[in-house]
Amino acid sequence: MGKAESAPRRRSVPVVKVVMLALLTVVMSVPVYLLLVNSFKPQQAIADNPFGIPLGELTLRYLSDAVHSPQYNVIGGYGFTIFLVVVVDVLCIALAGPAAYVIARSLRRRTQLLLLYFLAGTFIPGAAVVIPVIYVLRAVGLANTVTGLVAHDVASTLPVSIFLFVGFIRTIPVDIDHAAAIDGAGRYRTFWRIVFPLMRPAVVTVLILNSIGIWNDFVSPQILLSPGSGHYTVTTAIYAGISQYSTDLTKVFPNLLLAVAPVIVFFIYMQRHIVSGLTVGAVKG
Amino acid sequence: MVELAELSDRRTAPAADTPRPAVGGRSARLRTAAVSLGMVGPAVALYTVLTVVPVGVAIYLSLTDWNGFSTAVFVGFDNYRHLFADPASTRSWYVTAVIAVVGTVGMVGGGLAYALLLKGRSRTNAFFRALAYYPHVISALILGYLWAAILGTNGAVNSTLHRFGLSEPIGFLFDEKLALVSVIWVIVWAGFGFNVVLFVAALQTVPAELLEAAAIDGASTWQTNRRVVVPMIAPVVTVATVLNLVGLVRAYDLIVSLTGGGPAGSTQTFSYLILARSFAGTKVGYATAQAVFLMVVSAALALLVTALRNRQDQAAAG
Repeated sequence: MGKAESAPRRRSVPVVKVVMLALLTVVMSVPVYLLLVNSFKPQQAIADNPFGIPLGELTLRYLSDAVHSPQYNVIGGYGFTIFLVVVVDVLCIALAGPAAYVIARSLRRRTQLLLLYFLAGTFIPGAAVVIPVIYVLRAVGLANTVTGLVAHDVASTLPVSIFLFVGFIRTIPVDIDHAAAIDGAGRYRTFWRIVFPLMRPAVVTVLILNSIGIWNDFVSPQILLSPGSGHYTVTTAIYAGISQYSTDLTKVFPNLLLAVAPVIVFFIYMQRHIVSGLTVGAVKG
Repeated sequence: MVELAELSDRRTAPAADTPRPAVGGRSARLRTAAVSLGMVGPAVALYTVLTVVPVGVAIYLSLTDWNGFSTAVFVGFDNYRHLFADPASTRSWYVTAVIAVVGTVGMVGGGLAYALLLKGRSRTNAFFRALAYYPHVISALILGYLWAAILGTNGAVNSTLHRFGLSEPIGFLFDEKLALVSVIWVIVWAGFGFNVVLFVAALQTVPAELLEAAAIDGASTWQTNRRVVVPMIAPVVTVATVLNLVGLVRAYDLIVSLTGGGPAGSTQTFSYLILARSFAGTKVGYATAQAVFLMVVSAALALLVTALRNRQDQAAAG
């Protein structure tokens, strides 16, 4: 290994690296660039040169049209989707937390089978289970209702949430529970006042996993809430709007921008938590 | 019914759950059991009614010719027989398999290549990793619409080619063969970043001494990666492969927005067939048979992940 040999090798690696990183930058940023630029351009300018920035023609008109569109409304969808995310998150934690606590703290075989019972749910694809869910909801009188959708969404978030919580609670020393019990705290109190505050990392992971899942979910609201219900999430609003006007790019781009913007902002702001949360959720769940 | 059995099962269970106060007779133990039941009960009940029962309902409906309105007539395994005879169904399995296999190879390969490049802990690397990762947090439905606006007949690519003198638009989404390629491209574009993050996490646990030893032995970067680094993270690569497969077998949202299953069914995945064709066409019995079949395939793949992960855990423990 002489100097003459290792020198060009050391230089050749950065060349590959630079080319690959340039490719990555272009391929990943061009779609976002097109989305951003074309949301402010008239149809003709988009058709003439989608990559161009015609300074004279840029306008907020189409974005404002999208905000005020009466038929389908992404901004209106924000409200309902945020409502859905918050309600499902809260109910999921309220149900999964205590259940995971009992499972994690029990040494009984039967309780461990309960964990397997929940885990089996992660094997069921949403697109497959949503059809029979309609008929179950119909049987209990919740077909086509927001309550029905919330109930289904909470049920679908339970398996992974409980699994992650059980794993985390088992790392918390049981001595803490015993100390609380000796001080006279019941199991509910012990869980919510003593154990739950210690579960912060797992709770953050579950919240991120579920929030992004519910925000992006399309199948459940599409199938469980008919258009007649008047409730649109961001995804079903986009679906209703764009399937109608797919050739009118002045409607497509601004609506997509409105749908993507909050997620991108949230991602930039919470990047570290989101990446680790989604990774843990996928690998362990 | 399942939940009732479950509940009574738990009610009769003697209370031996920890933590238990040092004192306490039979009644105290029963009370503890009741409290435990109150804590797991709601989650078990909701999950049972809206996840387990629907699977049972799906299995029942799959044995009928129900259209959603009439009285269901029991038809035995007719729907399942039809499932393997129906050309639309067999073709959608072919499409799904191609998407799943080629998409997985692309995502894992791309993910590995960029993970090796971006494994360092610098801020620049973190930035590029985020750049590769961001589509993972966006709904597949929206990504599909965005790429349709880029690859469509009047999309960004074709209008640009037109400007440079190409008279006929390229049928990225309208040519039967190209459309499948486009779908796979968007899937890989959106999903490889997740693999990058997964692999980087594994790569950062590879001991530095190993890399130093390889360098002292005169191994090139390529040799080190191929002979030392990649074998070290092989278990993670295996799990990622199966995870990607499981995810892609379920592909639905992206198909809705990018191609609508077209042209001529050339990008119609199995999930899309179930929801947009069978179910929307009020063939509920047939749709649920397809759904049950999809569940079986997904479960088989998911069990594979679990088995691989257990083996990996045992290897790590041993």
